[in-house]
Amino acid sequence: MNLDSDGEIFGFLGPNGAGKTTTLRLLTGLTKPTSGSAKVAGHDILAESVKVRECVGVVHEVSNIYDEMSAWDNLIFASQLYGVPKDQREKKAKELMKLFGLHERCKDRVGTYSRGMKRRITIAAALIHEPGILFLDEPTTGLDVQSSRMIRNLVKELDKNGSTVFLTTHYIEEADQLCQRVAIISQGRIVTVDSPEKLKVSVEKHQIIEVSFSQVEDLERRLTDLNYVNKITQVGDKFRLHVENTSEAIPLLVDFARENGLKIMSINTLKPSLEDAFVEITGIAAEAMATEKEQTKKGGNLG
Amino acid sequence: MGREWFKGLVKAFYIAKKDAKVYYFKAPNFTYGLLIPISLFLAFAMAGQMNPKLIVPGLVSLMLLFGTTSIEAVAVVLEKQTGTFDRLLAAPVSYFILVVGKTLAGFFFGLILAAVVLFPLAAVSGTMVLNPFLALIAIAITSLAFSALGVLVSAYAKWVPEAQMLSNFLRFPMVFLSGTFTALEALPSQLQVVARVLPFTYSVEALRSSIAQPAVTYTYILDIVALTLFAIVMLALSTKILEKRVT
Repeated sequence: MNLDSDGEIFGFLGPNGAGKTTTLRLLTGLTKPTSGSAKVAGHDILAESVKVRECVGVVHEVSNIYDEMSAWDNLIFASQLYGVPKDQREKKAKELMKLFGLHERCKDRVGTYSRGMKRRITIAAALIHEPGILFLDEPTTGLDVQSSRMIRNLVKELDKNGSTVFLTTHYIEEADQLCQRVAIISQGRIVTVDSPEKLKVSVEKHQIIEVSFSQVEDLERRLTDLNYVNKITQVGDKFRLHVENTSEAIPLLVDFARENGLKIMSINTLKPSLEDAFVEITGIAAEAMATEKEQTKKGGNLG
Repeated sequence: MGREWFKGLVKAFYIAKKDAKVYYFKAPNFTYGLLIPISLFLAFAMAGQMNPKLIVPGLVSLMLLFGTTSIEAVAVVLEKQTGTFDRLLAAPVSYFILVVGKTLAGFFFGLILAAVVLFPLAAVSGTMVLNPFLALIAIAITSLAFSALGVLVSAYAKWVPEAQMLSNFLRFPMVFLSGTFTALEALPSQLQVVARVLPFTYSVEALRSSIAQPAVTYTYILDIVALTLFAIVMLALSTKILEKRVT
């Protein structure tokens, strides 16, 4: 596995058991590799494990903060562990509490928090020492829409500040929204690494026109008869036409409408989604991947 | 290097302080740390007409053994179960410092338990501690040694009851074979040999010595050395096992 990432949001996509979390654990010194090498922030993960951990923040898949302590005490403890100077600990904790919208309940026990609030305080604790690299393992799984959005916005903010974010997720749409580059991993091997847009283009075999007309009845048969249409699917009141070349097909489609006395209500060209690319590359249905995760984490939502 | 060590030790204290906040008041600590030793004491000691100079060191050592190994079972295993242990492992802290931090949590818990037991018991039984300073050293080294033992056992366990069960395999034989409630000399000669292998023997003996003798004895020094070596071995083994089990 070869990876090189700097100053970007780097996504790690793959089905359960593909090796996403194992890779994250290897890079953060939580698991020892049996072979191979890696450097994080210029430090060897084996020889300079403690140095690596000083430079990175890790948000595990489970919100592993101390329920028995307040959010404030959790942040202060994290700052002590990461060697934040004593005179800066409270200032940093206050800033993060405000940034994550938790300042009003900062003295409450974390055990009384909602799942979304726990997730936020977990991420805040990982940022207390201002790491250059943040590892996020499934940050929004099982969260409500509001918390998910807040976390995604925060990740975007981190990116603007020049941090590197290493994100593992099974939400393909999340990776598409956030990541500059995505690695698709399957059975412990990286199948491909590229930007979401390039990945979509790489699987683009047919171009698609989505069109709706003023009349729907008996249209599917007539559209199928058109020689420039390879395949047709009906989605609600719209038709998706798979064609060789959209720029040649659109004027012909306008002629077809005129000849048949139809009005074109809407017309769009569609590109394959990242999900289409993922399915094409891994051969795994995206829904199956999401369902597996949701079985263990109820209440997931992609807002 | 020295500065790094100091920073590491400070972090170990922070881990211990956090453990005190989170785990000192968990139920298993009261069951295993207080109730079982007191029950054993009542069952075996009060029934006989025993010399307070034998009873007091026996009960204090008993509390230290059960109390420290119980707090470690909770503070290490519960962290592994809830995933918070990963938080510690992901922090810039070496395995050794992590083990020291966990051991210190048990160490301070042991000191509190010993104080809770020793003063009232000494007052009620009319026992005079002839050298409190030596008694304090013996209590401190015992607490450290058994806490490190607790960390080692807990490094193997996946569940708190499993850790308590593994600890019981060590705790009960030690209690009955180390002359806790009887003078060591009263045990059969074969058992006296076995007792000499067990750290609990040295803890009871050191405490008895500090209660009965105002001056440092040769036996006391040997007891402290034996307990210190045991603590060092336990810390080293715990570090190795933790590293192996975790990664």
